[in-house]
Amino acid sequence: MGDVHEVPRRRIATAHLAQYIGQPVCFVGRVEKIHPTGKLFVLSDGEGKHTTVELSEPLDEEISGVLEVVGRVTNQATIMCMSYVQFREDKSPFDLELYNEALKIIHEFPEYFPFG
Amino acid sequence: GSPAGTQAEKKQRIRSQNIVPCTVSQLLAAEQVDETFRICDVEISQVTIMGIIRHAEKAPTNILYKVDDMTAAPMDVRQWVDTDEAGGENVVVPPGTYVKVAGHLRSFQNKKSLVAFKIMPLENMNEFTTHILEIVNAHMILRKNLMSASRVPQSFSSAGISDAGGYGGGGSLPVNGLTAHQSQVLNLIKNCPVPEGMSLQELKLQLHNMTMLTIKQAVEFLSSEGHIYSTVDDDHYKSTDAE
Repeated sequence: MGDVHEVPRRRIATAHLAQYIGQPVCFVGRVEKIHPTGKLFVLSDGEGKHTTVELSEPLDEEISGVLEVVGRVTNQATIMCMSYVQFREDKSPFDLELYNEALKIIHEFPEYFPFG
Repeated sequence: GSPAGTQAEKKQRIRSQNIVPCTVSQLLAAEQVDETFRICDVEISQVTIMGIIRHAEKAPTNILYKVDDMTAAPMDVRQWVDTDEAGGENVVVPPGTYVKVAGHLRSFQNKKSLVAFKIMPLENMNEFTTHILEIVNAHMILRKNLMSASRVPQSFSSAGISDAGGYGGGGSLPVNGLTAHQSQVLNLIKNCPVPEGMSLQELKLQLHNMTMLTIKQAVEFLSSEGHIYSTVDDDHYKSTDAE
């Protein structure tokens, strides 16, 4: 599959999942629930829509708040996670709705915010 | 002859003194002509990027980071270390940290990299969202300005491009401290021979490319600066410079 961190990973929201099946993507969302096995969790995007994120290895730590997930969209329109990062919110909460608006803009103007 | 040539040149040079927010993909796509880089004909030199540190390697004279903003593979960012200073400046930012990098674009053996003069960890991730918007805004405005290069330059203040040269706050390119619109309005008013001065309606007739709102804003500014004064009513103005 290759290292997904060396290629462009389009920033998407839940609504874009179907368009990017098989593609490397970057998804930012808030943790809603974590499956007891630790191999699956659900994130909500800036519009409140849910995306399921799968892991090949179970989580080895607690996750909460806003996560930025890098991975590939599966045929089931879930994201197979290769890595994730927690956005720090110790000083200020992250405005996920505003981020969603920014996503709409970069999708509308790919010539000014190219991926690859 | 039109002054557009020299003004366009001046604009080019001034633009390359600004710091332009960019994506790594834009930097990789920049074309190099002699000493300068261009992204779709827009000249760039100092840039800011925001991304996550994937790798950090400390050497005696520099720290080499790999910064990833998801638009391409991570970019090499080199920060020269002040060997005279003991500690302090030489703290390595750990991988997994989101940072803002300000630096110069470089190319060596066809590989692009940044030489950073500032690397700052982000404390508020909303800055990242702002940076995304600033990139789109800046590149859109820069490209638009280039296409209208034959007309007089416009204000950069809305471009989200900060001025490294220390002009202090993005302002318009001044001619006698006035913007292009203000100069045009002032010149028409100065040259008006009629005793009650020039009316707003007359200005609108002469300045086809300006909206009434723009004209009113120019008149308000010129009046507050003392270049013009109203005569018979608020619609008529004369210049304070006696012709």
